[in-house]
Amino acid sequence: MSNKIPLLSVRDLVVEFNTERGLVRAIDGISFDVMPGETMGLVGESGCGKSVTSLAILGLVPSPPGKITAGSIQLNGRELVGLPESEYRKIRGSEISMIFQEPMTALNPVFTIANQMTDVLARHQKIRGKQAKNRAIEMLELVGIPSPDKRINEYPHQLSGGMRQRVMIAMALSCNPKLLLADEPTTALDVTIQAQVMEQIVKLQHDLGTAVVLVTHDLGVVAESCQRAVVMYAGRIVEQSPIVPLFQNPQHPYSAGLMASIPRIRAEKVDELPTIPGTVPDLLHLPDGCRFADRCQYSDERCHKEQPDNKITDSREVACFHPCGEAS
Amino acid sequence: MSVLLDVKNLSKHFPIHGGFFHRVVSQLKAVDDVSFVLEKGKTMGLVGESGCGKSTLGRAVLRLHEPTGGTVVLDGTDITKLGAQALVNARRDMQIIFQDPYASLSPRRTIQQTLLEPLETHNIGTAESRQEKIEELLDIVGLRKHILHRYPHEFSGGQRQRIGIARALTLEPKFIVADEAVSALDVSVQSQVLNLISNLQRKLGISFLFISHDLAVVQHICDDVGVMYLGRLVEKATATSLYKDPKHPYTKALLSAIPTPDPTIKNERQILKGDVPSPLNPPSGCTFRTRCPKAMDICAQKAPVEVEVGTKDEPHWVACHLFESS
Repeated sequence: MSNKIPLLSVRDLVVEFNTERGLVRAIDGISFDVMPGETMGLVGESGCGKSVTSLAILGLVPSPPGKITAGSIQLNGRELVGLPESEYRKIRGSEISMIFQEPMTALNPVFTIANQMTDVLARHQKIRGKQAKNRAIEMLELVGIPSPDKRINEYPHQLSGGMRQRVMIAMALSCNPKLLLADEPTTALDVTIQAQVMEQIVKLQHDLGTAVVLVTHDLGVVAESCQRAVVMYAGRIVEQSPIVPLFQNPQHPYSAGLMASIPRIRAEKVDELPTIPGTVPDLLHLPDGCRFADRCQYSDERCHKEQPDNKITDSREVACFHPCGEAS
Repeated sequence: MSVLLDVKNLSKHFPIHGGFFHRVVSQLKAVDDVSFVLEKGKTMGLVGESGCGKSTLGRAVLRLHEPTGGTVVLDGTDITKLGAQALVNARRDMQIIFQDPYASLSPRRTIQQTLLEPLETHNIGTAESRQEKIEELLDIVGLRKHILHRYPHEFSGGQRQRIGIARALTLEPKFIVADEAVSALDVSVQSQVLNLISNLQRKLGISFLFISHDLAVVQHICDDVGVMYLGRLVEKATATSLYKDPKHPYTKALLSAIPTPDPTIKNERQILKGDVPSPLNPPSGCTFRTRCPKAMDICAQKAPVEVEVGTKDEPHWVACHLFESS
């Protein structure tokens, strides 16, 4: 991994939100790299900070109340934190694109698909008129929309959820971005449609060589389409690893618990599903030590007092005093 | 085993208004001619994609939607023929747990008020015995009693869903409809709530109609499973039989579409083409034929009827022309 130059490099990123109840640190010092052309999963449960991470990369953290208070985000060696809005606008949509979770709300209901797609092309690629429309039709065809030349003149409400998500993908990829952030792209879709859309993302990623960061809570989707994954818990990265060892031999007790509690089709019915006891800690009242200590079966005194540092072995990284339950 | 719930030819059609005089121009057949039987103490799963009518069916069974046709017999009483007061009384035996734990609890009532309400409505017990009862219920669902004076916003999704379950249990019902009861929860919490539901069922002997789009969850919790597509049951069987040997092409596609949480397995996936057709204008004959990889000529002409394909121990029905001739 180290012999390649990362496309995106996030170092010690901290994002804080000023809320009525106090200062919340949604992301607390995370670091990770995305290599060119790879698909990386960003996994975790609600509130762990995975969506805020992708918003921070795009410079879209709502401010106020949010603010990036420390750390750096570099795209191809260029620092993005602190970039003026006018510069950021040139990057969004052309170098980094995003697909949002809600295909229903991410498209503007009062404009046709053609309108919205040619807008992006006009801004970033300076193509207009007929040429832009043809390019948009080409993209729609690429994402598998039947009769794209007719569909392009329709409004978002005339399309189904799966179709809208395809339009989003087509729009996001129309300027050949180097990095695509997909925030829960299939969560709002049915399984059969999810399978269609994921197949499409994987195929396009392969054909166009775009790097993809797939933000999701669905470990099944990660297992099928990512090469590497980062597991987040309460604003921190607890483990990052290539996909196969992560699923076969999770090092952090949280990753292990998460893997075990995925409902899956089993050959034999089990009486009791494995669970992780307790709930995610309140970000306003975080424990001093490891954030997972209260729910962890291996935790000892040290876990409750000190924050574990990231241990790096080979290509894996884990923040735990007792990786995989071993005694220290 | 004795039958608790017997649903026969249940239909729910919604009128579509249109035109100048706002007349009824057509009918949307949300649930069309559905029959199934639920035994005492068993759980039946109802799966299908959004818009297939599974929630409408759940509500029609409770008469939260007035059924258009068919009968629902709960423990010997035909619910569809009850008058208003009799229906209120009958509702003691049937309850529902909703999908969204954020929207299904009144934000202006404390947990105590929410849990006491059903007991007060039905005039059960004295003030003290009611209080005792709800404290006992909290204990059953794994919450501490000091939360009684709190409001819903103070709880996490998992805790709210536990409160929703406690509310459904207050009247000691025989039958509960769980409509996507765990879909809004994170996996680690989802499995906690699923374990709670299956424990309750074992302990209290309540029958559940468990509506979900997640086939893996349904397999864990259900004894029988029905698969719905565009308002019709296309396949029903015991959970064992359905997962081991799915018959209907739709069920097969649904099962193969689930992502496997194991990166070393690359399963041969059968991806369905296209979307679910509009229920306003469903295809002729078999409604699944437009997406079916095995569609034949007959599928467009005639709607398939349910045929028995299982054994005595593992009953299995499927509505598909592929199995009709045999």
